[in-house]
Amino acid sequence: MNEIFSDIATPVISGILLGGLYTVIALGLSLVFGVMKLINVAHGDLVIFGSYFAYSIMTYLGFNPVLSLVAGIPLLFAVGFAIQKYFMARVFKRSMEAPLLIAFGISLVFENLYQILFTPMSRGLTTSYSLESFILGDIYIPVVYLLNLIVALIVMIALSLFLKKTFIGQAIIASSQDIRAAQLMGINTARIFCLTFGISAAISAVAGVFLGLTFPFTPVSGIPFLIIAFGVVILGGLGSIIGTFVGGIILGLAQTLGAQYISASAQMLILYVIVLVILAVRPQGLFGR
Amino acid sequence: MKVNPHRFKEFIVIAVVVAVLAVLPVLGLPRTWLLYIFLFFIYLALANMWNLLSGYCGLISLCQPAFIGLGGYTLVIFTWNGLPLYMGILGGAIVAAIFTMLISSAVFRLRGIYFAIGTLVVPEALRVVFFIWRPVGEQIHGKGAGYMIKGLNDVSMTHIYWLAIFIGIVSIVIMRLTLSSKMGMGLAAIRDNDSAASSSGINIFKLKLFAFVISAFITAIAGSIFYMFQGYIAPESGFSMKWTMTMILATVIGGISTEEGPIIGTVIIVFLHFLLARYAGISLIIQGILLIIIMLLAPQGIMGFARKTKIYQSLLRLTAGDSI
Repeated sequence: MNEIFSDIATPVISGILLGGLYTVIALGLSLVFGVMKLINVAHGDLVIFGSYFAYSIMTYLGFNPVLSLVAGIPLLFAVGFAIQKYFMARVFKRSMEAPLLIAFGISLVFENLYQILFTPMSRGLTTSYSLESFILGDIYIPVVYLLNLIVALIVMIALSLFLKKTFIGQAIIASSQDIRAAQLMGINTARIFCLTFGISAAISAVAGVFLGLTFPFTPVSGIPFLIIAFGVVILGGLGSIIGTFVGGIILGLAQTLGAQYISASAQMLILYVIVLVILAVRPQGLFGR
Repeated sequence: MKVNPHRFKEFIVIAVVVAVLAVLPVLGLPRTWLLYIFLFFIYLALANMWNLLSGYCGLISLCQPAFIGLGGYTLVIFTWNGLPLYMGILGGAIVAAIFTMLISSAVFRLRGIYFAIGTLVVPEALRVVFFIWRPVGEQIHGKGAGYMIKGLNDVSMTHIYWLAIFIGIVSIVIMRLTLSSKMGMGLAAIRDNDSAASSSGINIFKLKLFAFVISAFITAIAGSIFYMFQGYIAPESGFSMKWTMTMILATVIGGISTEEGPIIGTVIIVFLHFLLARYAGISLIIQGILLIIIMLLAPQGIMGFARKTKIYQSLLRLTAGDSI
């Protein structure tokens, strides 16, 4: 009896913790999606940008990947800000397709830059604690998985406080609800959009570091994580941080339970099928109206 | 029926060009040159089929590699079971068409950008499927279900080259036929305003599905021919996003929603391949930058730009004057 319990408890607990990572990856996408109604196809590559940045800092300067965020967050904020200001903003009003195709081009450029700079080999952020796990009854849980959930909670609380309590946060929410009304109230929406994209990229920096601690990554890892992030966002519905969290945990659970009970090599396939089924059955998401 | 002399002249020009290209291998042109002409026609077919979906139906499809991979893998399964190559190519096209019908009920509920991401999932999922599943042959140790394509010994390179020219021309003809038919008008109406089209009695789902199936069918054939040339297919290459990139670039650079756009765009893409053959990574970065620049400065591509200039318009008037 006890064995059966620990058999199911391990994937359930690690699934929930992994859900934390997926939430952080998806929050940036959800923010841009919610405010600008734009799906940033290059989002996965921005996350991998964070991973590679931490990797270079760790390899060449010897700093802990988490510490590298001190430089990583501002750097990615600047990258995101620039992408919106110099590329997206110019084609934003023209059509839905134009920003999509530009994001696609950015994704291609980033992906091949990583290939040239870091070779196509699989990399990981290996630290002193990356192989350690703690024991909970009979269950072994890797420390990095627990870190994922803690970081997700920190990012979620910080983001919601920022959106609720600061002027810029309120301006972001206002622009997402009604651009024209926001403009009439004297909000510079073009600037708010740049800030939103910057914040989204800054969250990607955090996501990238913890992704690198949890999984190995390659230059082409951006697409799988973009799909996961997209799945989380449609599961959770738009504009809800808690919804995103629930979506992240559902996908995390689906992956670990699938790996345990179906097959380890099919775990990504299970996620993709879930995303497709949700799109077919409830494109507005579990919590959408 | 009266033959339009302008059309007739155009037909003659195309026929002569095709005939010249077709006899090139017999004349003993260097193989690298033939390779670029081969790639041109394969990419042309892919770009035309992507243009049909995105330029004329408003469906930004990112799942074209799914059809290429399905075509290639069906060819593998057929040839490994001793069936002829041509049956394999046709089989792949039919599998891709059936697959399209299966996913259509899911993806057609999505619009615009949602459709794009929904379709992005499909080739990724198939890549994992073919990574795990070994449809034919022994279970080998480890993963990565790459296959040689059997039965290629009796087929010469010249033969495959002709097949590529054939599918490229077929894709042009299909574009012409679809767009000049009633269906093309319906598709344009859907792209411009789908609720207005629907209330004018156009069956949106049926028309979109029809375009999607045609696109899958031809894309799968072009994919099979490409893998006949390669002789080897692996899940990472068959279902790769690089395919999507190539067709988007060719179409957008040349001019989306124009018939000539993909032709001009494909010439440029193949030329870039030729120039940067040794630096594949840099070539892709340049293509990405090119895509961004075109979208920022000339979203209608080269054709859209050319149409606005006086030279093109006077040229058009000249040929039109000729044909009257």
